[in-house]
Amino acid sequence: MKILEIKNLSLRSKKNKTLLLKNVNLTLNKGEVLGIAGESGSGKTLMGLTITKLLDPAIFEILSGEIIYDDNDILKCSEDYLRSIRTKKISMVFQEPMLSLNPVQTIKTQLYEVIKLHITKNQNDIEHLSKNIITQIGLYDFDKILSSYPHMLSGGQRQRIMMAIALVCKPDILIADEPTTALDVTLQLQILDLLKDFKIKNNMSMILVSHDLDLIKNYTDRIIILKNGLIIEEGITENIFENPVTDYTKQLISSTPDRIVTAKASDIKILETNNLSCRFPLNNSFFLKNRKYFSALSDIKIYINEGETIGIVGESGSGKTTLAMAIMQLLDYSGQIIFNEKDFSQLSNKDIRKYRDNFQIVFQDPFSSLSPRMNILEILSEGLLAFNKTIQHEELVEICSSLLSEVGLANDMLFRYPHQFSGGQRQRIAIARALSMKPKLIIFDEPTSALDVIVQKNILELIVSLQEKYSLSYCFISHDLKVIKSISHRIYVIKDSRIVETNSTENILKNPQNDYTKNLIKSSFLN
Amino acid sequence: MTFKKYNSYWIKFLNNKRNKYSLFLFSFFFILSLFAEILSNDKPIMMSIDNELYFPIVVVYTDKHFNGYFDTEADYKDNFMTEKMSKKGNWVVFPPNPHSYNSINLNNSTPNPAPPSQYNYLGTDDRGRDVLARLIYGFRLSVLFAFALTAIGILIGLFFGAIQGYYAGKIDLYLQRFIEIWGSMPELYLLIIFSSLFEPNIFLLIILLSLFGWMGLSDYVRAEFLKGRNMEYVIAARTLGLSNTSIILKHILPNSMVSVITFLPFRISGAILILTSLDFLGLGVPPDTPSLGELLSQGKDNIEAWWLSISTFLVLTGTLLSLIFIGEGIRESLDSRS
Repeated sequence: MKILEIKNLSLRSKKNKTLLLKNVNLTLNKGEVLGIAGESGSGKTLMGLTITKLLDPAIFEILSGEIIYDDNDILKCSEDYLRSIRTKKISMVFQEPMLSLNPVQTIKTQLYEVIKLHITKNQNDIEHLSKNIITQIGLYDFDKILSSYPHMLSGGQRQRIMMAIALVCKPDILIADEPTTALDVTLQLQILDLLKDFKIKNNMSMILVSHDLDLIKNYTDRIIILKNGLIIEEGITENIFENPVTDYTKQLISSTPDRIVTAKASDIKILETNNLSCRFPLNNSFFLKNRKYFSALSDIKIYINEGETIGIVGESGSGKTTLAMAIMQLLDYSGQIIFNEKDFSQLSNKDIRKYRDNFQIVFQDPFSSLSPRMNILEILSEGLLAFNKTIQHEELVEICSSLLSEVGLANDMLFRYPHQFSGGQRQRIAIARALSMKPKLIIFDEPTSALDVIVQKNILELIVSLQEKYSLSYCFISHDLKVIKSISHRIYVIKDSRIVETNSTENILKNPQNDYTKNLIKSSFLN
Repeated sequence: MTFKKYNSYWIKFLNNKRNKYSLFLFSFFFILSLFAEILSNDKPIMMSIDNELYFPIVVVYTDKHFNGYFDTEADYKDNFMTEKMSKKGNWVVFPPNPHSYNSINLNNSTPNPAPPSQYNYLGTDDRGRDVLARLIYGFRLSVLFAFALTAIGILIGLFFGAIQGYYAGKIDLYLQRFIEIWGSMPELYLLIIFSSLFEPNIFLLIILLSLFGWMGLSDYVRAEFLKGRNMEYVIAARTLGLSNTSIILKHILPNSMVSVITFLPFRISGAILILTSLDFLGLGVPPDTPSLGELLSQGKDNIEAWWLSISTFLVLTGTLLSLIFIGEGIRESLDSRS
């Protein structure tokens, strides 16, 4: 039974008249989970927002189409009617729970508000209903949760509260827009399982918008693949994953990184850390004994061999990035970091600068890692000039163009600025910048997390081919076990500032010892 | 490429008519006022006496040059000189407004302050000095003073803000406490004390005001640097082995100039206002210096002499308004969101 139908929907931006959705047709049946997949900018989120007519009419313009719910065309309905069905009949959960909750009001106020507006004004009923929904979404400390402010809750708890608010009216349709993207992998499954249970109990329909094909594959009945605002493929989930028709879908499905690491590692240790610890002061008390510290790294012992890639995997806040910064000598630490048989903990900052060409880093966000006011030539030549001031301009241009071709970019791009490049291209430039110093070790701090899956695969292939060519050593940091698996020789699992498990990639995946590792593997759909 | 980028800001700025006219009017009058000596002077630009050419505006001639008795500079408004000039065969070219800022019209028939007449286009002040001349020179002095004060303030503010923001930690802590103490000193009282201790002049004013004027800006620069020092491209520059100085100059500074550029016109107009109000109170420049504030206070004392207050008011508001419009124009054209 159809519950929602979109016919011929076209949408464009008012400013530059580009079409954002082109003749979209879709139907949603009662009790069904419809997945919308596609890369960023494909119009996934816009589609969700159009259904409840939440788009800003000053920016977007609906050219044609109908959205039929309950025999009414939502696009023609009055604002009053829309308000009465939003949350009550059609409800939404967004990606970032911190932005969707009001920071100055308690959870109680925000949850009660919805109930008062749509269901009942009776105080006892309100309390009963909210207690009910909060236990249903898996939070048990009822009173404490209700009296908290959003910042007092963890990311997972906040997203659960968002779901409670969205689900308390038992809506017919839930639009979940990347509901788990901002959460750690191990939480993703719990949240989605909750949604699934709720859906089955209340016979609700759901639209799940996600860039993560594994989630879509495991949690939806039917999927739609969007590209540039156009539906390019539609069908039953299993059929699409087994027999994709269009090239784009095939590419998307095969973009889950395979194991591509090939280089053979030697036995010579290039980097070794002993008892590496790092802590940040929590309060800045004048008296030493009153000071409290947050331990970001405790007793870390890792090593990297020449030509080897180690993967460091863990959830947010586990200390992955702190470890990268400590190895890069960018923050104070205690313990030893031995690089090429030289103990860096004994050197002063000035001396360390002389060795900086040996180890380089590539960051997560390619948009903030390149200075917006420098062109590519300036960005690439900066490090070269810091070590060799006499180098001539012509020679610099030559070196930098060969660097660009090394990372697969045309060398006529040398005089462009970062904002003229896409995310993937920028990440290539960041890799070229790291290569410019001819380093022995490159640390990758979540280099592909901000990229679309297809681009991610290309970048990983580039990284691996560079390793083969120059026998580089890599330290690859990611929250995504799938990415780590595809390129690492060995894996360190890090949790709460400690290394909880380490082994070769095959052994860890086949035979995980630690419960956390097992959970991680399960959440990444790798078993 | 860089040029192209700045060019697009420029086009955006000029697209707004208000910006265009404010910038045009302000620069026109400011450039004119830079040639104040030619526009308004009691010395002739050039003259020919007894078949000899003189350029009194650039060369100092004594009375003796013209067969007079004194070793002092010739007074070209004196009867002795006017008679010589009006002799047959002799000619003289006076500036459009034949008065300087401190020349007194002794031949005035009406009591001072005298209303506008064919001799004094905007009348005279209470000492018989030409108001137009004083406005031209006063405007120039105010704007130049404001430019100097702003430039010094920005340099000091950038320096301290950059150091505080980039090094953060203890340096930031101590400098911030220093700024709190320094900023709570009563600026006006200091000015009063200093103007009674020393002979007040424009350089002393610039020094005194610069000592306090940088603090507002350094806060913004500090905030920009605190943000910038943790940007990934700055960390990347550190890993490339760049020194702190080159990171500050090449990476963070260009990206934190927005606050400086945005505040620039407002600081200039603020500086003009400071000078005017200090002069109005009699704490600013010495009395014979042409100043808008002094004219305003004369206007207050001689309320019936409308030519004093209205003309100064128009010059002052015109300057401040056009500066503020220019400032808003710059801010809007640099804003990438609009």
